[in-house]
Amino acid sequence: MHNNKRYKMTMMKKEETNDKNFIYDVIVVGAGHAGCEAGLASARLGKKTLVLATNLDTVGYLACNPSVGGTAKGNIVKEIDALGGEMGINTDKTLIQLRMLNRGKGPAVHCPRAQVDKYKYHSQMKKTLEGTANLYLRQAEAAEVLHNDKQVLGVKTAQGLEYFANAVILATGVYLNSRIIVGEWTNDVGPNGFSNAKHLTDSLVEMGFEVRRFKTGTPARIHARSVDFDKMTPQPGDKDMAPFSYVHKSVNENQYDCHLTYTVQETHDVIRSNIDRAPLFSGSIKGTGPRYCPSIEDKVTRFADKDRHQIFLEREGLDTDEIYVQGMSSSMPAEIQYKIYKSIPGLERVEIMRDAYAIEYDCIDPTQLYPTLMYKNLDGLFCAGQINGTSGYEEAAGQGLVAGINASLYLDKKEMVVLERSNSYIGVLIDDLTTKGTNEPYRMMTSRAEYRLLLRQDNADTRLTEIGRKVGLVDDNRYEIYLKKKKEIEEINEILSTICKPKEFEKLFRDKGEVIPNNALSYKDMLRRHNVNIFDLQKYFGILTEFSKQALEQAETDVKYEGYIQKEKEQIEQFNKMEQRKLPPDVDYNNIGGLRIEARQKLNKIKPQNLGQASRISGVSPADVTVLIVWLAQQKKEK
Amino acid sequence: MKEFEKHSEISTGENKIVAISTPIGRGAISVVRMSGCGVIDIAKTMFKPFPAEAGMLKLGKLDAKHFSDQAMCVYFVAPKSYTGEDMVEFQVHGGFSVADGVLKSCIQNGCRLAERGEFTKRAYLNGKMNLAGVEGIMDVIDAESISAVENGYKMLTGRLDDKINNLQDSLTDLLAQIEVALDYPEEDLEYITKDKVFQTINKVLKEITALSDTASKGRIIKNGVDIAIVGKTNVGKSSLLNALVGYDRAIVTDIEGTTRDTLSESYVYNDVKFNFIDTAGLRKTDDVVENIGIERTLQAAERADVILLVFDGGSIPKEYEEIKNNPKTVSIYNKADLVKHNQKDGISVSAKTGENVENLKQAIYDKIKADNVSNNDVLITNARHIDCLSRASQSLTAALDDKDNTLDCISLQIRESWQALGEITGTTASEDIVNRIFEKFCVGK
Repeated sequence: MHNNKRYKMTMMKKEETNDKNFIYDVIVVGAGHAGCEAGLASARLGKKTLVLATNLDTVGYLACNPSVGGTAKGNIVKEIDALGGEMGINTDKTLIQLRMLNRGKGPAVHCPRAQVDKYKYHSQMKKTLEGTANLYLRQAEAAEVLHNDKQVLGVKTAQGLEYFANAVILATGVYLNSRIIVGEWTNDVGPNGFSNAKHLTDSLVEMGFEVRRFKTGTPARIHARSVDFDKMTPQPGDKDMAPFSYVHKSVNENQYDCHLTYTVQETHDVIRSNIDRAPLFSGSIKGTGPRYCPSIEDKVTRFADKDRHQIFLEREGLDTDEIYVQGMSSSMPAEIQYKIYKSIPGLERVEIMRDAYAIEYDCIDPTQLYPTLMYKNLDGLFCAGQINGTSGYEEAAGQGLVAGINASLYLDKKEMVVLERSNSYIGVLIDDLTTKGTNEPYRMMTSRAEYRLLLRQDNADTRLTEIGRKVGLVDDNRYEIYLKKKKEIEEINEILSTICKPKEFEKLFRDKGEVIPNNALSYKDMLRRHNVNIFDLQKYFGILTEFSKQALEQAETDVKYEGYIQKEKEQIEQFNKMEQRKLPPDVDYNNIGGLRIEARQKLNKIKPQNLGQASRISGVSPADVTVLIVWLAQQKKEK
Repeated sequence: MKEFEKHSEISTGENKIVAISTPIGRGAISVVRMSGCGVIDIAKTMFKPFPAEAGMLKLGKLDAKHFSDQAMCVYFVAPKSYTGEDMVEFQVHGGFSVADGVLKSCIQNGCRLAERGEFTKRAYLNGKMNLAGVEGIMDVIDAESISAVENGYKMLTGRLDDKINNLQDSLTDLLAQIEVALDYPEEDLEYITKDKVFQTINKVLKEITALSDTASKGRIIKNGVDIAIVGKTNVGKSSLLNALVGYDRAIVTDIEGTTRDTLSESYVYNDVKFNFIDTAGLRKTDDVVENIGIERTLQAAERADVILLVFDGGSIPKEYEEIKNNPKTVSIYNKADLVKHNQKDGISVSAKTGENVENLKQAIYDKIKADNVSNNDVLITNARHIDCLSRASQSLTAALDDKDNTLDCISLQIRESWQALGEITGTTASEDIVNRIFEKFCVGK
């Protein structure tokens, strides 16, 4: 690196400046979902934190759909909350509908999803940042990361100000050199026309990052009065849902219905006859798009035999008539978009308010980061969110939280937190990113988790709150709520061990159509029957009435799926044996005899933290891992 | 030392391993070894009377799955053993079948089959061995593929990979259909029904079973065919063995009943390894040792892939009728130099002059080819593969057991099966499944 000059210049300035407004512990670049969590975590851990955003109206902005959670993502929100993050709380405060997806498909895949008021979400999040001690929110475009050969020193803005800090978190989202595309029309701006960040990419390249170009997109927003809702199927929310946040008792969950409709043949005809004008196919979009959010032209082309595609209408907020048209993301020219939208039943009179667009942006190769999210080549520099090649608010927020925590721990010279594949979706996410990398915007799915039955939405607190407490993010209130639930579950389990004679459960079993055995059963045994749930036990035996619904449901799942959960726990035990075998960070794998060439290269690039991570790198074979085991043993022996 | 205890955790854990430690089909005895915490308890259930102390070699009775046999047993207590863990060695009668039976019983009692070189690896990790370097270990790990090349096994492995890949592919498809229902619950898709899930599982399960069933044929390719030489005393079985392998291996005397134990010797003919098992002659006797030998002869005949039933010029005793009618039997009329045989149902040879011995080899070879390897089937040749297939099938069977199960649990069982198959081909699941979802289904907002 050739920054000696800059290093000297910067150090001079830092010494010259004793204006406290320019000296921080942590600087967060970006105030989207990653940036907000990062900034809040760092400030709450007592670090003087500067949060920079190109535009303060983009703080916590839901640039795509007005919805938080969903499959796997809902679990991430719960995890963020269990660790002491903000996303769950902010969602609860601003949601207008709440649903539990996958009821009936097993507890491992129950996932909460909220429709939120996107404007309230933004203003509520901004207010939280503003009201947080140690946190300084500032509108400015970060242009350059200041650093020397070893560590990060601060950030210089495009406007020419220099801010100093020993930890910097880059959470630039989709704003780096971003360009939006509507047919032949393109504009060098960020989402929704907000100005983009034009300078920081050069700084990333200079620091040795491999910069890539990714692409994503969003559908049009239309006026509610132009929609014939009676031609569509209403999609109401669920009742009696638990809030996202473990610290909230209840939530105002069901204020609004979404609506469901479908594309028709005409829609597909319009798209097909204009496909040559689609930038995705004409080649004018070069970024790699996610398979997870295909545009409507992409869907119609790739799945030509499908005669309809589903469309959800989601209201953007209670104080606006704008409606988000889920499933209709597009980068077609505006006039074609209009024709496409108009063809859909219920949208014949459509008034498009904002066009659908595709967006291209710069991001980095996340395998250049440690699982702490710190850059391998520069101490104190962290990256979180879409800059790491992910997609989705929740994925971004989860990373932001981890980066915020670790920036603080780094400054305190404490061991940083690495979440595990076995304790959280956030752990799966960061391990996948930093071990395998990604060639497209990465979306979390429950299928990516090996231990799905343990990574449930109902037990995120059991999995993570102790970690958050140890770090210092979990306050007394949250911790007490957690301990209370933990105690409740213990007491429930004790009660469930009570044995009953057949006479006592005869009625329950007969009512539920279960075969009545001759021997005595514990409540636990009864609960294992498919048709018996824990609330039946309340009803028939008058027990367990004093416990919270959340505690009861978690205890019930643990009983009903005991065998499978046990199996996963055993797998985790095996898994952890490899995870606990640390590999030194400064090894040159070229010097280890017996490793294949490809393995040496991959290992040197990824610098795995332990044997488990090494074994997950593509190109590292089981034989290579054996070599590493032997090599490790040898090292210890020589000591 | 404490550090090393930590290490042994990874290589051993609760893992008890077992392997046949002597080369297959050579020598009068085979050694079956177990290592790991708990193997002494396993051995105590199998071997009686159990040696009173560690390091003491004791003669006794070994109960295996389908038979019991005299054997020797010695055990070692950690850390004073080859691997540095608790170890047990059984010395059993030679030939593949006995050792294989003992191996299977050990597995049934909770051991798993050792990876190639695993005893040595454990010894090394437990600080018991001072290997020159990592390369030594790598050689051990590579040994499997070296011997595989020798046996023309590589080609078969390639075909096996294809077959396993196909099975995995079916499971990947199935998982993608389940996972898309779980990860994209609100799409306009025809989600898979549980009935369909169970149907597919059944289909794959059948194929896995069929593949497992090829294991015995596969063993022939890998370890050779076991050929028992059976006959009345003093018809020249031992001479025939010597003639077949080309040198004096068995003690040949004129005294009836010289061969009191089964002896085995290997000989490679064309591309097949013959493991000849010379057996004690069948005759009524009061000699206790010889009687044990005769019992063993019958067992060897039963387990062998081919039986060479040897007659001399004399009449054919009634007690041989059953063996003679066994489809795997080849009748041989020996001493052709002395007697002119007229029987058309066998081959006339002279072990003494070597007359027709080459033709006999060809006849055995043809018979094996016709019976076993004439088709293009994929053959399972590797005990580790058998183990993987059996685990794959267990997981699928478990998935079928509870019809009321939710999809997340069924998926877990199918993944487990996938993983077991993946241990054969060295692949892992999750990325494949995710890719399959997006290939097959139009999902996403």
